[in-house]
Amino acid sequence: MISPLYIRSARAISAQESFASNDLSKEIRSITGNRFVYIEPNYQQYFTIMQLRRMSRLTRIGLVTAIECLKDAGISQPEAILTGTGKGSLHDTEKFMHAIREFQEGTLNPSPFIQSTYNSLNGLIGLHHQVNSYNTTYVHSGFSLEHAMLDAALLFGDNTIGNALIGAFEEMTDEHYIIKEKLGFWKNGAVSGEGCFFFYAEKDKNGSALAIEDIKLWFEPEENQIRQGLEELLSSHQIDWNDIDVFISGRNNDKRYDHYYNLVADKLPSSTHHIHFKHLSGEFDTAAGFGIWAAARMAEMKRIFPSLLLKEGSRDNIKHILFYNQYYGKQHVVYLMKTTA
Amino acid sequence: MSSVFITGIGIVSALGIGVRAQREKLVAGISGLKSAHFLNSIHKTEFPFGEVPYTTVELFSTLSDRGELQQSRLQALGALALEECLSSCSTPSGFIRQGLINATTVGGMTDIEDRYFELIQPGILDGDTDWASGLDCATGTEHLARRFGLTDFMTTISTACSSSANALQYGARLLQQGHLDRVVCGGVDSLTRFTVNGFNSLKNLDKELCKPFDVNRNGLNLGEGAAYLVLETEKGLQLSGNHPLAILSGYSNFNEAFHPTAPSPEGVGAFEAMKRAIEKSGLEPAAISYINAHGTATLNNDESEGRAIRRLFGDSIPPFSSTKEYTGHTLAAAGAIEAVFSVLSLHHQEIYPGLNFTTPIPGIELVPAKEYQQTTLNHILSNSFGFGGNNASLLFSKYD
Repeated sequence: MISPLYIRSARAISAQESFASNDLSKEIRSITGNRFVYIEPNYQQYFTIMQLRRMSRLTRIGLVTAIECLKDAGISQPEAILTGTGKGSLHDTEKFMHAIREFQEGTLNPSPFIQSTYNSLNGLIGLHHQVNSYNTTYVHSGFSLEHAMLDAALLFGDNTIGNALIGAFEEMTDEHYIIKEKLGFWKNGAVSGEGCFFFYAEKDKNGSALAIEDIKLWFEPEENQIRQGLEELLSSHQIDWNDIDVFISGRNNDKRYDHYYNLVADKLPSSTHHIHFKHLSGEFDTAAGFGIWAAARMAEMKRIFPSLLLKEGSRDNIKHILFYNQYYGKQHVVYLMKTTA
Repeated sequence: MSSVFITGIGIVSALGIGVRAQREKLVAGISGLKSAHFLNSIHKTEFPFGEVPYTTVELFSTLSDRGELQQSRLQALGALALEECLSSCSTPSGFIRQGLINATTVGGMTDIEDRYFELIQPGILDGDTDWASGLDCATGTEHLARRFGLTDFMTTISTACSSSANALQYGARLLQQGHLDRVVCGGVDSLTRFTVNGFNSLKNLDKELCKPFDVNRNGLNLGEGAAYLVLETEKGLQLSGNHPLAILSGYSNFNEAFHPTAPSPEGVGAFEAMKRAIEKSGLEPAAISYINAHGTATLNNDESEGRAIRRLFGDSIPPFSSTKEYTGHTLAAAGAIEAVFSVLSLHHQEIYPGLNFTTPIPGIELVPAKEYQQTTLNHILSNSFGFGGNNASLLFSKYD
């Protein structure tokens, strides 16, 4: 059990037009090639050209997403900033590696080095909002966002803080796409993606529409461990499979991993709605953020986004949402969420 | 909140492999800084480095069981520290929930950077590309977790130079709120051309031995290493029968939101991090017996940290020193390495001498401890400050 995270606002920059309208009402964009690429917002209203020049592709969207997320909640200074990213600013990492080679370790521009640091976005958000606070970054692949969430819940639990800005950010580059291709990431149906997601959460309910009630993490689990872990999760919250109104799964079209999601789907009644999201975002370390964003927005707007429906159920009233994502069989994460309306 | 006990420690640094090797050098005031041998960089003899004095192959041959670890300097360093850490205390019998909270700044960059440009050639698909996964920070942690049976719960933190100090804090919270019974926390970084050129581009590297808190300090020396600590609760102690080496009595993480790479001159972040760590323990600043300073010897850090120490402790400043003159700045490993040094100081009731110091910074006038001394130590504060304004302080207390 964790101290619940009451989500007051959620924002997403993704390969869909999810940012300005903060929903999925716009026409769905289909993929070009084998990569979902995120849609960058108009930066003019946020930064001067000089500021923009100093920032990289990923820190730009990261900061803009954080700004709008806090604005939606009417908060200027959160009490903590926690993020997760699998790879951080890959463009900067690569740029600095190329510069080292090209200039043979001579005089180099330090900017890419600084921005390649995984916590540089956190620092920028802190600077932009003048937030003196708890500030940390988790960099553990498919667990990255979840540890940011869990740590925030722990900080709520011991009364260190009463609210937090929590987020995830990821980008793909041409070079890293090739590396992941060689590692076999795309050969069985999964499509590459990227995106940035921020959530403002409070310890108390205060008009939030969705609460993250629990988070479970398993590394390379056996199917039995997942089954047992889910049963324990549900019973510890005094609910059972029939209480799940919406099941959100991280299916990524890679058939090698469908059995994990089927294991959950098979337990659920036919009235439960089944939702997926990676067909719109692509697959990446922190893709779960897109699914959590969708859950938060659907709870707020009290409707299911039709483009996410994998199998329509019959429940009108949405109370309990079970979210299950796994990243290439290694990191498995489960969120139990509850609408508060 | 329940107490967090430290029951095991393991370490590798430029001072050598293992706790004993570290303490011998620290007591004798012998630095591990010199020209690098194994680092693949044109700068390897231009600057002093805290390089672990063995090849990666030699490091692996020192391990009792290599298991499925990748051919990686990062993983070799991490495994040596973890092996010592876990063998220095007993594993509880019965079912316990345990975890590994690791920290790193660039993951397996050392192991990848020489082959990176071969890796990104589209056409070439050689047979075994598993090594390429080392670029990911999670990969090292996962290989170490598998090797040491810590796969139940794991993560990796990267907050620049405060990374492993934050790993200890997260571990402590997980214990205190009952999510785990036992947690291994620490960090690892190996020297890389990437990081060396990064700090060089920031003009932060001294060509001479670093001189923390000296008016003529001129930058830091980079190092590499790994350190891990076993944290247990009271309940964990009952199950394991371990005798605590020290208590983690306070901790704090505070971002000062001043500048992407430089601390505020007055040391707001350093001040708040130290103050809050002490407050969390329920102690007063006067109770602090010694400070293991961040003390990187950069112009900015030592001035702001010095001012923060002045402001927090007033005229009764406890003995302090930086151990960066021994190990170099080991980045993500620094917080854990200095946590191990703090535990050693408490356990042996001794202060290790600061090196290379002659003249204090005008206006701050702080003089680090320069001689080895045995003295009564009850509470030690350890600072780790990083890029992005990330400041962390840990407070270690003697266990009676």
